Amino acid sequence: MTWRHAIFLANRELRRRTGRAVLTVLAVSLAAALLTALLTIALTAETKVLDELAKGGPLSGIKVSAALPDPAQVTQDQAQAGAATILDQSAIDRIAALPAVRAVVPVEVVGTTVVVDAPKRDGERLDAFRETVIGVDIAEVPTLPVTVLSGRLAAPGSVTEVTVDEAFLQRLGYGRTEGDQVVGTSLSLGSERPLRVGNDVRTVVRWTRATVVGVVAQDAGQGQILAPRELVAASRQWVAAPVAGDGIGEEDLDVPTVTPFAGAFVVADRIDDVGAVRVAVTAIGYSTSAPENLIASVDRYLNVVGIVLTSVGVIALGVAAIGIANASLAAVRERRREIGVLKAVGATDRDIRRVFLVESGALGLIGGVLGVALGYLIAVIVGIVVNRYLIEQGFQAVPVAVPVITMLAVAVGSTVLAVVAGILPAAKAARLPAREAMGSV
Amino acid sequence: MPGGVDIQVSDVTHAFASDEGDLVVLDALSMRVEAGSFVSIVGSSGAGKSTLLSLLGGLEPAQSGELRVGGRSLGTLSRDELAGYRLSTVGFVFQHFGLLDTLTAAENVSVARLLAGASRADARTRALELLDRVGLASRATHRPQQLSGGERQRVAIARALCNEPDLLLADEPTGNLDEENGAMVVDLLQTISAHDRCTVLAVTHDRRVAERADHRYRLAQGRLAVVER
Repeated sequence: MTWRHAIFLANRELRRRTGRAVLTVLAVSLAAALLTALLTIALTAETKVLDELAKGGPLSGIKVSAALPDPAQVTQDQAQAGAATILDQSAIDRIAALPAVRAVVPVEVVGTTVVVDAPKRDGERLDAFRETVIGVDIAEVPTLPVTVLSGRLAAPGSVTEVTVDEAFLQRLGYGRTEGDQVVGTSLSLGSERPLRVGNDVRTVVRWTRATVVGVVAQDAGQGQILAPRELVAASRQWVAAPVAGDGIGEEDLDVPTVTPFAGAFVVADRIDDVGAVRVAVTAIGYSTSAPENLIASVDRYLNVVGIVLTSVGVIALGVAAIGIANASLAAVRERRREIGVLKAVGATDRDIRRVFLVESGALGLIGGVLGVALGYLIAVIVGIVVNRYLIEQGFQAVPVAVPVITMLAVAVGSTVLAVVAGILPAAKAARLPAREAMGSV
Repeated sequence: MPGGVDIQVSDVTHAFASDEGDLVVLDALSMRVEAGSFVSIVGSSGAGKSTLLSLLGGLEPAQSGELRVGGRSLGTLSRDELAGYRLSTVGFVFQHFGLLDTLTAAENVSVARLLAGASRADARTRALELLDRVGLASRATHRPQQLSGGERQRVAIARALCNEPDLLLADEPTGNLDEENGAMVVDLLQTISAHDRCTVLAVTHDRRVAERADHRYRLAQGRLAVVER
């Protein structure tokens, strides 16, 4: 008997005992659904927790500062930086050429005077204040620890759009969830350059008008305003460029040499590579920091949670498998005559075993597939409820993970477990004497 | 077309355990059946008729003695070889038909062919031929529950013939049938013996079956006696 013929016979038999088959499939489905839902929720939670730790950036991200390294920094997540130093394009290129480095995103900064047009929550006007504007390539933001809380990012290359962070909101008296109050308002950014006029030192200011298009949580640099690097580069260029004298004694003051980049964000291939990359960057001469130790610790705890949840689901599947074995044993008892007849017309032990294993496997497969679908649906519903809560608390919603490998594993695992559960009943059926055909008829 | 097989039963003894000790149903039984003949065995209930068929069909091994079918000693065959023997050499007809309720008439007939490794199309063609032969071509798609007792037994006979057996073993083939259907089944058995040259061995209570056989035996107290015409 071929497998195809066994499937044909098993199919007919399952359809005859529809009620029992449905109940057995239901048991497997519920177990598979439980396992799928738990694993999906665990994976989603793990993603969210690690994402929060990495501030929305990649887990294997490393912050490089334009500062000399602390000798002990490689073993610490947040290292104390040494004296300031120059981080230029050649250094960036050297870092990018290191093994296991996937990407390097340079970060520029410029100090500005900020004048906000919008009033504070209490209606008072906010005094002008000094703040650092961080400039990054907006196209590279997905690589950076930046999460949009409200509105959107500035358009790539724009010199008139900026985003602000939560600390900026607090200046205006708003909380994390009230970013919409600031989005759409305007501000002026003043870049200052000292100028000697006679014996006096005066300041020349270049004002840039910009619109706040979004609120972000970010850890790309120290500053409350995140802008396209073009905006920052233009300000820096103006500050550094000599001011033409007007013939009445004006004279440029020497501007201290400043580093082209305040830092860089380096992404290693894998979180396991972070340590080695930090060592290599330290050797080049820069201070680094990365939450690798914290992430590794949290990841270990999350793995324990995952193992516990998996165990719960596997136990449920085990119980369902016992149900399959029980149903199959009952079927063997009820079908002694039929098994005998099949043997009387020439079926071998292997043929009988095959039919019963196909029946068990089919119950496991159908139950597993339905369970995976049901489990994912449950996870999505839980995700909707949790996201509603997160949004209320001012956090970004987390998309429910689609653990394809896990889903396949649960469906395949259910089938395999069902087949294993069917081995004993199938062996029992196969060993029934052919005389059952005569004895029971 | 099968040529039938001769049967040689030598000194076969078989007993069943019971509360009162071993119940001997076949007691040093010996018999010989020529290839292609139609043999009937009558006897009272519990005389061991069905046990003899079971032993000849390779459904269980004899406790002592030897059964040779077509020169092959059944006692030397492994479980798989016995399955092969039942598949290719033997056709069974049971008193209670032994049809699988989940299959149609045609599928019941074709099961034996499928077990022999035939394709479903080939098995179905063969099943339809045989159903036509037993007068049930129009009932091919009906399930056993939708057939009368006589029709079920004819389906069972068609199934028994599916792999062109050399030996047809019938256990009370008319036991559950009315007179008209019983006669039809007896006609079929005789035709199979005569035209297909298949050795037919039927155990029965039915005098009509017994009288139509070439050779008649009575089984009593574990031994066979020839019944004279």
